[in-house]
Amino acid sequence: MNKNIAINVLNLTKKFGDFTAVNDVSFKILEGEIVGILGPNGAGKTTTLRLLTGVYKLEERGKVEIFNEDLNNNLIICKKKFGIVPEISNVYSDYTVLQNITFSGKMYGLSKKEIEIRSNDLLKRFELINKKNSKTKTLSKGLKQRLNLCLALLHEPPILILDEPTSGLDPFSVKIMRDQILEFRNENKTILITTHDMKEAQTICDRILIMNKGKIIADANPEVLRKKFRSLSIIKFNAEKAFESNFAKVFHDLIIKPDGSYNFSSENVLKDLTDLYTFTSQNQIKVSDVKIQETSLEEVFIDLIKKDSIKEDFKND
Amino acid sequence: MIEENLIKIWVQSIKNINLYIKKGPVIIFGLMFPFFMALSWVLGRNILINQIFIGITAMTAFFTATAISPVVLPIETREKSLERILSAPLSLNQILIGILIASSLYSMIITSLIAGIFIIIFPSLLNSLIYVFIFWLGILLMSILGSLLGLLVSAHPTDQTSDVMLMMNLIKFPLLFISGIFIPLDLLPLSAIILAFFSPLSFLTDLFRYCVNGHSFFPYQLDILILIIWIVVLFLINAYIHSKTMPKRFGESRSMPMKKNQMQGMQK
Repeated sequence: MNKNIAINVLNLTKKFGDFTAVNDVSFKILEGEIVGILGPNGAGKTTTLRLLTGVYKLEERGKVEIFNEDLNNNLIICKKKFGIVPEISNVYSDYTVLQNITFSGKMYGLSKKEIEIRSNDLLKRFELINKKNSKTKTLSKGLKQRLNLCLALLHEPPILILDEPTSGLDPFSVKIMRDQILEFRNENKTILITTHDMKEAQTICDRILIMNKGKIIADANPEVLRKKFRSLSIIKFNAEKAFESNFAKVFHDLIIKPDGSYNFSSENVLKDLTDLYTFTSQNQIKVSDVKIQETSLEEVFIDLIKKDSIKEDFKND
Repeated sequence: MIEENLIKIWVQSIKNINLYIKKGPVIIFGLMFPFFMALSWVLGRNILINQIFIGITAMTAFFTATAISPVVLPIETREKSLERILSAPLSLNQILIGILIASSLYSMIITSLIAGIFIIIFPSLLNSLIYVFIFWLGILLMSILGSLLGLLVSAHPTDQTSDVMLMMNLIKFPLLFISGIFIPLDLLPLSAIILAFFSPLSFLTDLFRYCVNGHSFFPYQLDILILIIWIVVLFLINAYIHSKTMPKRFGESRSMPMKKNQMQGMQK
């Protein structure tokens, strides 16, 4: 089944004076897809989200379409299609939970009746019903973030934008938030999420965009990304006697760990394991605890950012 | 659609009144300041009740109107709620009008209350309904004008109310002292009259004088016209400047590229 394009971003650029925060970024997100934007601080993730949600005006070159509606020409219509959960809670701290929900509902053009019905459902769903008359400044960070989710879902938007939604939350709140995000997948919501948490990105996202210095340097499925960008695995083992001098001739990046164990990276695990066993049996060295460790998304991320930064440094030099 | 937009503006105004009316800078600069200023002006001096009425009402309108509008944007920038509003289906002008209505309402209610108390005690101050209407129109215009002035000062993209209030006072006091609040325009030397033209308060006090004394320096229609021109010009300037400074409220510095030493730390 062909899916609609929920977000279509073309040549998105944002400059602050001489500094280019977002540099000619283009990507598409399909309806129902969960896409994660990863990147170091200052990579341009939040600026991209602010451009998408109309907080910043688009510059002449950039174009954003939300379900085929041009963001620049139909800003108000497009804004109604987003539900936004910010990194730092931005509810009115002197308003109660219910006052915040009512205010937000009215901003999105909901009637009193709609606000009443939906707020009741959401408050129950996010276990905030007992706190509905509490001022939000008295809530914990986790509860505030649940309220932000309520506000984002109140007008039933097809797209959710989550800016580091689990940042600084306790493990219990993180679990609630992740479970909710996975539930949204069943509701066919399109989700764009920025995160620093690689594990989170790997478990939740269908696709990952890696940003660095305002550019997208990788765009793929987390598994594909792992395999495509760093197909290395780490082979770890223990050996009964030191043999690294000979062995290092065969395996160039052999490392001896402080605990006496060895490891080396491998592009072809089967071949390298065979070589290892051949070499050790020929030299009568007993090996034990052989382990193969796959490259994590975090390693891919660090690797990519490092390579991209080195490339940029060369360009600048 | 129009109804929906009007509701959004009204809901915002109510929110602005509810949340900011009790904030320190609003109470200090909107209520306490004009009260003590009026007290120090009146106490121990032989000033006619007409002049006291005109001076205190004009000062109240001006100070209360410039109390809420400058603080909303800095506070909402600091608390991040401004970003929520900007990403909601609202235009920037709707956000500004929401602040404007809240600030104007606050000013109109307090100034009308002060004027009402004076009129109850001294019923002869305004002796016809036409004068009452024109007087109230003056309060309305100054409430809007002062709010726009406060809003303009808050275009400076800071999240500190003290920065904005300092700037507001730098503008407010010269405008107050060159106006005809303390000395009627016709008693001022020519150079001071020329200077008074630059303060919208001069036209308000002149309009109030027409209502209270039956005569004024300028025709009252001209006073009203000039106040309206001030409002239109200030609104247009506000819309333009806020559209330019609004994006600067969201920390450009946070979008700076990663520094080399951060990168090295990551490599380790």
